[in-house]
Amino acid sequence: MSDPSSINGGSAVAMMGKDCVAIACDLRLGSQSLGLANNFEKIFNFGHVFLGLAGLATDVTTLSEIFRMKTNLYKMKEERLIEPESFANLVSSTLYERRFGPYFVSPIVAGINSKTDKPFICGFDLIGCIDYAKDFIVAGTSSDQLFGMCESLYEPNLEPEDLFETISQALLSATDRDALSGWGAVVYIITKDKVLFLIYFF
Amino acid sequence: MNGITVDIEHLKKGEVSLGTSIMAVTFKDGVILGADSRTTTGAYIANRVTDKLTQVHDTIFCCRSGSAADTQAITDVVRYHLQMYTAQNGKPTTKIAASLFQELCYTNKDHLTAGIICAGYDEKKKGSVYSIPIGGSIHQQDYAIAGSGSTFIYGYCNKNFKKNMTKDETVNFIKTSLSQAIKWDGSSGGVIRLVILTKDGIERLIFYPDEYQEA
Amino acid sequence: MVGLSFDNYQRNQYLAAKGVGVPKATSTGTTIVGCKFNGGVIIAADTRATAGPIVADKNCEKLHRLSPTIWCAGAGTAADTEMVTQLISSNLELHSMSANRSPRVVTALTMLKQHLYKYQGHIGAYLIVAGIDPTGAHLFSIHAHGSTDVGFYQSLGSGSLAAMAVLESNWRDGLTKEEAIKLCSDAIEAGIWNDLGSGSNVDVCVMEIGKDAQLYRNYLTPNTRAQKSKSYKFPRGSTAILKEDIYKLVDVEEEVVNLDTMQVDA
Repeated sequence: MSDPSSINGGSAVAMMGKDCVAIACDLRLGSQSLGLANNFEKIFNFGHVFLGLAGLATDVTTLSEIFRMKTNLYKMKEERLIEPESFANLVSSTLYERRFGPYFVSPIVAGINSKTDKPFICGFDLIGCIDYAKDFIVAGTSSDQLFGMCESLYEPNLEPEDLFETISQALLSATDRDALSGWGAVVYIITKDKVLFLIYFF
Repeated sequence: MNGITVDIEHLKKGEVSLGTSIMAVTFKDGVILGADSRTTTGAYIANRVTDKLTQVHDTIFCCRSGSAADTQAITDVVRYHLQMYTAQNGKPTTKIAASLFQELCYTNKDHLTAGIICAGYDEKKKGSVYSIPIGGSIHQQDYAIAGSGSTFIYGYCNKNFKKNMTKDETVNFIKTSLSQAIKWDGSSGGVIRLVILTKDGIERLIFYPDEYQEA
Repeated sequence: MVGLSFDNYQRNQYLAAKGVGVPKATSTGTTIVGCKFNGGVIIAADTRATAGPIVADKNCEKLHRLSPTIWCAGAGTAADTEMVTQLISSNLELHSMSANRSPRVVTALTMLKQHLYKYQGHIGAYLIVAGIDPTGAHLFSIHAHGSTDVGFYQSLGSGSLAAMAVLESNWRDGLTKEEAIKLCSDAIEAGIWNDLGSGSNVDVCVMEIGKDAQLYRNYLTPNTRAQKSKSYKFPRGSTAILKEDIYKLVDVEEEVVNLDTMQVDA
């Protein structure tokens, strides 16, 4: 037990395709080397915006509930669903509010803007610095492996079906080399009018 | 920290410091302040042309040493108070300015690393010099030296200072004193800046290394 | 919910006391520079963001807008430079609206240094502030503890030594705009090549008296990746699927109900 963000393990990744985005995570929840559950989803959706939360499990759950509350309040005030760009800024300011006592998470956001149909992905560090990307975003205990996989497998303008294969293989190969990640995975392929939701074992 | 002893070596990690050679000297017509121009972060010279002689009122200046952030913050507060004082009571004396520095340095001694020399010219006392070293005490002196480089020139200054010198004599005295301080102190360097405060107002002088090194 | 919350601080201190380390935030191991020229001022930055030895972002933006004519380059803790810049930008606009004057660089400088001094260096923002105001062109630097410096040229960040070497050898009085841009981009390139914390591209922002500020995003791109000669696209169906679901995102339709025609029980 040395680093809070790698006690429970877990990884997440997001990718941008042609008029689509993908976001995926593993399903493991552990306590150091001991596996506890194989159904711990780290992706949450708030309307058409998807949030991946890798890191300390207690903070993952707490934050997902905080954002559920905040996006519901947003929906009531604005009488519309929150868009990915706005949600990214909401995540950023929520994390920075805890600048000197942070949640031990590395969040990623994926979605398609419903007004402009523009795909959007981004990542954050634990105190809310936004990392905008045009290609892919990685997070979690296998982020180093994911960086390597994505950097080599990724290519721009993939169709949803091809993006699924690329993100799946990237996550699978990365988590295979991480003792703290794995135990199943979920992938969401998001296009502007539907969400494809897939689970698979390996 | 127990309130009695002060850790003068204490500087926050990565903090910008004015490892400095500064002095202020009274003379016949007023007072002259002098300083080197080096600021450092560890071994790196963050600024080689710093102005450590900071104006807080028309003819009241201070020499700053210690933490750059702390001394700038203190100076800003004193400048603000002197503006308020001027609006309500008219021209402040050097002693009033120095007392403001002293009050701030004493009440916040546990959080500050600041060694300040406050010097100025006013109609009542003409040129005067107040030294406010790290614990927040105040000392009126005919001349004052401070900063890491000052340790090397205590003897020289003590031997060569004379009361009621002329302007040229004083400028030379400061120039030679600071050149020696700079020579022996690695944390001091760059140019020598002088500010001359007399009844005629402010005069600024600058001396470059190739000139003062011969002196 | 105003200002920063220190709630989790106690919990994390407790965790730290039990031997739990605290994760690192992304820091912009950076090269940033600024330089005055005849009729204005420019700032420049590299575009690499790092988290330890990993390049977290290959093309991040380190040039922030404080007001339309005042820009700042940030080094240090990435989140801090971004957030402190957004906060002061907001306060600067409110200030300029209440004062009915366009914002000044010294105002931005004072607001930044007083904020950073208040936090005693715990907000790790190292900034080069530059801009045009009714007083002219200005260039300053601010350190995290709240100290400020003035100068004709400035450099900050882990690559500041490499950049300062270029600035010290090539800077002269009375540079033209083009010469200043060249000098600054050269200085950033020195950081990109010689400092491990800096890399990728050069961003430049030119602020000229009497003109709108111009941001040249990716002014130089000396590190573009070569086209991959082979595709790693997997054949469709490569990945084994256990379960598949399709969510059709529902459209919410709204209808105005006329209250007059609505029957309500007494």
